Amino acid sequence: MDIQRNTLLPAPLARATGLIVSLLLLAGCSTGQMVVRGSQTILDSGVVAMNSETDLELARTAMPANLKLIEGMLLEDPGNIELLLFAAQGFYGYSYGFIESEDTDRAGALYRRCFEYARQTLPLRGFDFDPEISSPDDIRAALASADKKDVPAIFWTASCQGKWIDMNRDKVAGFAGLGNVEVMMQRVLELDDSYFHGATHLFFGVFYGGRAPMLGGDFARAEQHFERAAEINDNKLLLVDLMHAEFLDRQQLNRDGFHQRLTGILEAPDDLYPEMALINGISKQKAGLLLEHEDDWF
Amino acid sequence: MSRLRIADLLKPLSGLLLCLGLALSTPLHAAKVYTLKFATLAPAGTSWVNMLEDWSDEVARESKGRLVIKIYPGGVQGDEPDVLKKMRFGQLQGGAFTGYGIGQIYSPTRVLELPFLFNSIDEIDYVRAQYLPEIAQGYRDNGYELVGWMEVGFIYFFSKEPIRTLDDMKARRIWNWQGDPMGKAFFDASGLSPVPLSIIDVYTSLSTGLIDTVYAPPLGAIAMQWFTKTGYITDLPMANGIGSLIVSRRFYQNLPQDLQKLLKRTGEATGEKLIETTRRDNAEGLEILKQRGVEFVEASEDLRSGEVVNIRIRAGENLMKNGYIPRTVIDRVNGWLADYRASQPQDAVNVAE
Repeated sequence: MDIQRNTLLPAPLARATGLIVSLLLLAGCSTGQMVVRGSQTILDSGVVAMNSETDLELARTAMPANLKLIEGMLLEDPGNIELLLFAAQGFYGYSYGFIESEDTDRAGALYRRCFEYARQTLPLRGFDFDPEISSPDDIRAALASADKKDVPAIFWTASCQGKWIDMNRDKVAGFAGLGNVEVMMQRVLELDDSYFHGATHLFFGVFYGGRAPMLGGDFARAEQHFERAAEINDNKLLLVDLMHAEFLDRQQLNRDGFHQRLTGILEAPDDLYPEMALINGISKQKAGLLLEHEDDWF
Repeated sequence: MSRLRIADLLKPLSGLLLCLGLALSTPLHAAKVYTLKFATLAPAGTSWVNMLEDWSDEVARESKGRLVIKIYPGGVQGDEPDVLKKMRFGQLQGGAFTGYGIGQIYSPTRVLELPFLFNSIDEIDYVRAQYLPEIAQGYRDNGYELVGWMEVGFIYFFSKEPIRTLDDMKARRIWNWQGDPMGKAFFDASGLSPVPLSIIDVYTSLSTGLIDTVYAPPLGAIAMQWFTKTGYITDLPMANGIGSLIVSRRFYQNLPQDLQKLLKRTGEATGEKLIETTRRDNAEGLEILKQRGVEFVEASEDLRSGEVVNIRIRAGENLMKNGYIPRTVIDRVNGWLADYRASQPQDAVNVAE
C-alpha cells in the first residue's frame, strides 16, 4: 500500500508533525489496533517478498501462515481496509496458485472467503450496494462517484466474486451475479486500467474470450484486452499468455495458438520478471497442466 | 573385480519374459475404439456439461474403453447450425440441440413448441412419450439418431414494461430470433411486428433500446444476463423449449450392436437426468429472479383463456402452410392432448384445436 509522505515540511518538523498526528489518530485505538496498524508496513514488504519468490513449494507452504496472521490481525482491527484487502488478495492468490487446479470445491470456498473480506471494504469506502443482490444499474449508479482510490476495493470485490462464480458454474444463483461483476470491473477499467498489472484486462479477456458469441462472447474484444494486458506488463507477465491460451484459444479451437503460447511460457527464462517471479512460476506450472489436456480439448 | 550377480544376468531375461507375457495376455487384434465427438453450447462446469461428462465416463467404463465420448462444451464447435454442418462432414459425430437446431433436422418435432400448447409438465411428458417414436424415425430418415431427449424449459417474456395483454405486447419492441420459423409463426399469429436479430446482438440491443422485450427460459435469461435489462416477466409461459441428444446415423450404424444399445440406454437415462435438472434449475431461476427484484406480471384473463388459443391456432396454420409442421402431426398431437386431458379429473380443459 502507498505510504503518504509529507514533502513540504523540513524533515525534523515533518517527523514531529507525523508523530502528533499519529498519536491523535491512535488515541481512539485499542492496543491491538495500534500494534496492527504499526505492523502493516511489514505486510507490504511481505507481499513484495512473496511476489518475487521463485520456489513455488516454499510459497505454497508459507502462505497459509501469512493468511492466518492477517485474519488474526483483522480480529483486532476488523474495519481496517488495508488488512481486508491483504486478506482478499492473499486468499485469491493462494487459491488460484495452489488449490484451483487440484480441488475446485475447496478453491470455491477460499474464493468465497476472499469475497467476504473484499466486500466489507465497499461500505468503508462509502458504497452502499450489495455486490450480489443489487442490480447492475444500481451498482453502476453507485460507482459513478468512485475515484482512483476506490479501485482496490472494487477490483478485489469483483475479482473474488467472479472467481467464486467460476468455481460454482452449476449454481444458478452464482451466474445471476455475473453482470454485477462485469459492471464493477468496467468501472475499474475506466478509473485505472493498469491497476494490479492490468488484471482487469485479463478479466475481460476471459469474460469475452471464454464464451461462445451466442452466449455473450466477443473474440475481437478479448484479443484487445489480452494485448493491452501484455503491453502494461512489457510482455513479461506469463499469466497473460496462459489465460489467452486457456480461454480464447480453447474457445476458438485454435490448437496451434494454444500449443505455441503454452510452450512459450514453459520456455520463458526464469528471471524474466523478478518482481513477479511467483506468478510467472505458477503460470509455468499451470501451462504444463493445460498442455496435458491438449488432446482432450482439440 | 566386482562380483557378477545372478540377478544381473536375469535382468534382460526377465524383461523378455515380461514382454512375452504381455503379448500373450493381449488379444491378437485389439478392440476397435469408437470416438464420438459431441458438442454442446452449455459452458463447462455447468450442471448440463457435468452430466454429459458423467455420461461419457459411464460409456467408457461400460464399454471398457471401446466407445469414447469426447465432450466439446461452451460452443467451442460453433452454434447449432455449425455443429450440424460438422456432423455432415464427419468432423463431429454428435451434439446436444435445442429446437433451433432440431428444426433443421426434422422440423415437425417442433410441434411440441407450439405457443401455449401445454398447461402442465405432465401434459408435456405424456404427449412427448406418444410422439417420441415418430420423432426418432424422423431423425433417422434425415441422417441422425436420437439418443436422448431433453428440454430447455418453459419460455417466458422478459420486458422493460409490464405485459398483461396482447395490446401491451403490441406496444413493445420484441426481439425475434432471426431465422427461427417458430418465432416468426408466433409473432405473425399475434399480429406483432418483432425486431429480428441474431441472438448475439440481444444484450446490446436491450441496452440501446432497439428492443425492450425478449423471450427465454429463466436459466437462459440469467445465463445471458438479459434479466438485468428487463424488470418484468410475464407469468404465462409461451412455449416449452425442447432439446435432443443426437448422433449422426453414419456413426451410429458403424457401431457394433452392443455399443449401439449402450449408447441408447445411457443416452436416454442422461436425457432424463438433464430434464430433471433443467426443470429444477429453471424453478430455482424463477425464485432468484424474484429475489433480484424482477416483477412477475400476471397476464390478463383474456390473454390467458381466449387469445392464447387463437394465437396457437393461427401459428399452427402458418407453420402448416409453409410445410414446417404437417397438419397430420398437429392433429395427432392435439388428439393425444385431448386424450390426456379427458383422462384427468375434471379440470380446466383447454384443448388445442
